[in-house]
Amino acid sequence: MEYLRMLGAVVWKDLVVELRTRERFAAMAGFTVLVGILFNYAVDPTVVDPQGIAAGMVWLTVVFGGMLGLGRTFHLEEDEGAFQGVLLSPIPRDALYLGKVVANFVLLVLVTALVFAVFGLFFGLSFGRAPGTLAAVVALGTLGFVAVGTLFSAVSARTTMGETLLPILVFPLLVPVVIYGVTATKSLLAGIPAAEVEGNLRMLAAFALAALAAGAILFRHVVEE
Amino acid sequence: MEHPPESSGDASPAPSAWAPVADRRPVLEAWDLVREFGPIRAVDGIGLRLGEGELLTVFGPNGAGKTTLLRILAGGLRPSRGEVRLRGLRLRAGDPAWHRRIGVLSHQSFLYGHLTAEENLWFFGRLFGLTDLKERIPARLEQVGLLERARSRVRTLSRGMRQRLALARTLLHDPDFVLLDEPYTGLDAHAAAVLRGVLASLKDGRRTVILVTHNITEGLEMADQVAIQVRGRFVFSGQRCQVDAATFDRFYREQVEAAG
Repeated sequence: MEYLRMLGAVVWKDLVVELRTRERFAAMAGFTVLVGILFNYAVDPTVVDPQGIAAGMVWLTVVFGGMLGLGRTFHLEEDEGAFQGVLLSPIPRDALYLGKVVANFVLLVLVTALVFAVFGLFFGLSFGRAPGTLAAVVALGTLGFVAVGTLFSAVSARTTMGETLLPILVFPLLVPVVIYGVTATKSLLAGIPAAEVEGNLRMLAAFALAALAAGAILFRHVVEE
Repeated sequence: MEHPPESSGDASPAPSAWAPVADRRPVLEAWDLVREFGPIRAVDGIGLRLGEGELLTVFGPNGAGKTTLLRILAGGLRPSRGEVRLRGLRLRAGDPAWHRRIGVLSHQSFLYGHLTAEENLWFFGRLFGLTDLKERIPARLEQVGLLERARSRVRTLSRGMRQRLALARTLLHDPDFVLLDEPYTGLDAHAAAVLRGVLASLKDGRRTVILVTHNITEGLEMADQVAIQVRGRFVFSGQRCQVDAATFDRFYREQVEAAG
């Protein structure tokens, strides 16, 4: 119970700070809208069927936009050494990691919803016959992305190269999320029944679980000296 | 090791022979602490022995390794060698049981600027597993004279207020071992006086305190034991009652100059 209270406090603090600064959400949302506008001019719907390439565009935007936000996960922690104060408290490091993952997940889900809204608006996308399954694909893909991104943003925050290093570290590890996420999303947007993407869904869930477990174990080695 | 001229008493003890004030059971003990950063030894063979309710002031120039020593004692940094025990509990960096017993006040506040004073205390209170925060937070804010600013965001508070709030955070979980790292840095005379008053209340005979500072006057004021750290080592250590402030000050300056 105490573990969950500690974890909840981290989630609460991260979301309240984000709500008051809007630093990360504004960057991610701005990027999302900008990409939507650019694709709107770059893709000629008389030549290319937007429904056919939407899955790639959506995941590309989520991953690049999300990286902007995840890269700054520990930025506000540096002010006045606040994160050092957190590390001098008895919170288990895995609870600290999972709390930050949950807060990042909430932000990324909001950004992903915005991505779908923007692309839906510009390209008149249909969300297929199984929007619930599509939401599950997006949620599991985002969770895996956030689990990896949060861990590596802690790594990059402790280096001089910082945010430049983050994409180099994270992108190779995101290959499974992109492959299974794009494949499942493409099928669902094409109106293929949900049962057809069950395998992809399972792979996304397995990746998310493995990334969470690895992050929870490794986080303390990243943040402690 | 050199010793400063003393006002009275015997020669100052070497760190290895360091004893707490008579009749006080040792609470904190450290042996042969070493911390290396590559080829640099920030802490080099330091030993400590402090009794219940005692306050040790560690003086030293910039780069002497004082903050590194405090980070080790706070459980935030693993020593390369050596051992620390608090009431018999052996230090393992990151050990929750160790962190529950220690409060750390640094020249950085360790606070979130976008949260209010009471939100910061609530957050850190939760991290320490405290459940009586509704009663505890107002009491701590009152103790440091910030009850009226409970709902002010930290970034709107003055430097002195932030430092007092940081002290409230440090004492929130009622630690029995308190580490103070240059707590007066950046404070004006008034803010320093207010903070000094609150810090004086820490000398309640129950808490063991280590204060790190450059300021001889402030450091000697409350100390039971004193030490001078230069290039990672204690070049002097002894009981406060055995040293004269003026000669100690002169000796300290000589040590700092000799260290370059």
